[in-house]
Amino acid sequence: MTDIIQFHDVSHRYEGGHDVLSHVSFSVKQGEMVFLTGASGAGKSTILRLVALIARATRGQVHVHGQTLASVKPRHIPAYRQRLGLVFQDFNLLNDRTVFDNVALPLIIRGHSHRDVGRQVRAALDQVDLLNKEKVYPLTLSGGEQQRVGIARAVVTKPDLILADEPTGNLDPEMAHEVMRIFERFNQVGVSVLVATHAIDLIKAMPHRMIHLEHGRISMKVPLSVRHAGDFPYA
Amino acid sequence: MPRAAASSDRRQTFFSRLLEEHARVFFFSLGKLWQNPAGTLLTALVIGITLALPAGLHALINNVDKLSYSWEGAAQSSLFLKDSVSAERGKDLARELNARPGVARTTYISRDQALAEFRKLSGFGEALDILDNNPLPAVITVTPMHKQSRDEINALVTDLSNLPEVDMAKLDQKWLERLYGIIDLLQRGVMVIAVLLSLAVIVTVANTIRLDIQARREEIIVMKLIGAPNSFIRRPFLYTGLWYGFTGSVVALIFVGVGMAALTGPVQNLAGLYESNFSLSGLSFFAVLQVFGAGIVLGWLGAFLTVSRHLSKIEPH
Ligand SMILES: Nc1ncnc2c1ncn2[C@@H]1O[C@H](COP(=O)(O)OP(=O)(O)OP(=O)(O)O)[C@@H](O)[C@H]1O
Ligand SMILES: [Mg+2]
Repeated sequence: MTDIIQFHDVSHRYEGGHDVLSHVSFSVKQGEMVFLTGASGAGKSTILRLVALIARATRGQVHVHGQTLASVKPRHIPAYRQRLGLVFQDFNLLNDRTVFDNVALPLIIRGHSHRDVGRQVRAALDQVDLLNKEKVYPLTLSGGEQQRVGIARAVVTKPDLILADEPTGNLDPEMAHEVMRIFERFNQVGVSVLVATHAIDLIKAMPHRMIHLEHGRISMKVPLSVRHAGDFPYA
Repeated sequence: MPRAAASSDRRQTFFSRLLEEHARVFFFSLGKLWQNPAGTLLTALVIGITLALPAGLHALINNVDKLSYSWEGAAQSSLFLKDSVSAERGKDLARELNARPGVARTTYISRDQALAEFRKLSGFGEALDILDNNPLPAVITVTPMHKQSRDEINALVTDLSNLPEVDMAKLDQKWLERLYGIIDLLQRGVMVIAVLLSLAVIVTVANTIRLDIQARREEIIVMKLIGAPNSFIRRPFLYTGLWYGFTGSVVALIFVGVGMAALTGPVQNLAGLYESNFSLSGLSFFAVLQVFGAGIVLGWLGAFLTVSRHLSKIEPH
C-alpha cells in the first residue's frame, strides 16, 4: 500500500512566532483512517492546514498523492484542493443557500453539468441520511445535521482523502458518534481519512491508528495492533 | 477521425458547460440584487443620475444642432458680378446657376435695380444723384438647397466665387458660423463631462462591490477552501457590476425621457410663436444603445478593478 500523506521532518512556525510543529514525521496510507490527537494548541490544525495548503511547511517536506507540496504554485492550489474533502469544526456552510446548493457547490466549481449535479448531490445527501432536507437552509438544522451537510459537501466529488478538523467539537456525544460512524463508512469503501480531535472518549473504541501530538512534536504513535488489542494508553 | 471527433465533442461540452455556468451566474447575481432591492435601487439611482447628465446634454445639443440646421435654409449667398459682365450675360448666368445641383433658387438684380433698391431703402435718394455713374455692382442672390451640410454649402459658395464673372461671393451667415462654433465647443464639453462621469460610475460600482466583497468575506474563504479558483469567485461580482450598470442605464434613460417630455410642451409653444414646426427629438436608437453599452461596460469595469484588487487579499488561514 502506498502512502497518501507523508510528513518528513516537518517544522512550522507562524510569522513572528516560535515553532508550533517541530520535526514531525508520519505517514497515512491509502485507504487508512487515522486520528490526530493532542491538547489544545498542540498543532493538530496546523498539520491539516499544511496538507490542505492553507499554510506551507517552514522546514521539511510534505507529500500528498505523491506530490511534493512545496512545488505546488499558488495558482494551482485550487486544483490541488479539489482533490481533497475538507470538513470543519464550525461546518463552514453558506447560510444563504439551501442544503442542496451547498452540497452542489464543489461540483459547480468543477464545471459539472446540471444533470450530473442533481444526481450526485442526492447521492451524497443520501449517504449522510439527509435526502429529505435538500430544500431547507442550514441554520434551520441541528448541529449534527449541519455537520452531515458539511460531510456531504466534502464527499460529493468522491475524493480519496478526507481531512476533518474537530468535526465533532460542536456536537453532543450522540451526534458526535454518528458523525464518526459516517467517516468510518467512507473509510470502509477505500477513502483515506485523517481526523483531528480532542474527543478521546469517543474514539477510544474505534479501531484506528492514532498519532498523538504534544507541543508540536509527535509524542506517541499508537499502531493498529495495539488498538485492536483493546489497549488504550490513556486511562 | 475518431480522435478529431472526440476532441470537437469535448470542446462542444466545454463551451456548453461554460455557457451553462455563465447563465447560472447571470441569474444568480440578479437574484442576489433582487434580495436587496433598496440597496440596488440606490446604487442604480446614483449611476442613473451620473449617466443621465451627459446623455441629456447630448440630446439637448443635438436638438440645438438640428434647429440651427433648419435655419440654414434661410441662408442666402450674394454673388457680386464684375462690372465688365453685361446684363444679358448676368441673366444667363443666373439661369445657369439655377440648374446647378445644390441650388434652390437664383435671382438676378441688375445694377439699376440695385441702385433703385438702395435709393428706396437707404433714404439717400437725392444725394446719389450727385454721382456720375452707378457705383453698385449687379448681384445674383443664390439660395442653397435645403438639407445640405455646412461643408457642402461652403464648397458651393467657394465654387461660385471662382466663376470668371464673379467678383466676390458672400455667405450672409456669420452668426450661424458662430453658433456652430459654440455647438462644437459644447459638444467637446459634454465629452469631457462624459469622461469624468464615467470615472464616477466606475468608482460608484467599485465601492459598492468592495462593500459586497467585505460582507461576503467568509463565503469567499469557504469557496477557496473547497477549491474554487479566483475566476469562479470573481464571476458573480463581475455580473453584479454588469447588472448595476444595466439598471443604472435604465434609470438614466427614464430620467432623460422624463426631462424631454417636460420640455416638449414649452418648446412647441415657443416654436409656434416663431412660426416654426420644430419639435424636440429624444435620444436616437443608437444613443440609447450607447447609454446601455456605457453602463454595462463601466459597471463591469468597476467590478473587475475592485475584485482583482481585493480577492487575492482574502485567503484562508
Ligand atoms: N494564524 C496563526 N498565527 C500565529 N500562531 C498561530 C496561528 N494559528 C495557530 N497558531 C498557534 O499555533 C499553535 C498550534 O495551533 P493549532 O491550531 O495547530 O493547534 P490545535 O492542536 O489545532 O489546537 P485546538 O485543539 O485548540 O484546535 C498554537 O500555539 C496557536 O496559538
Ligand atoms: Mg485546531
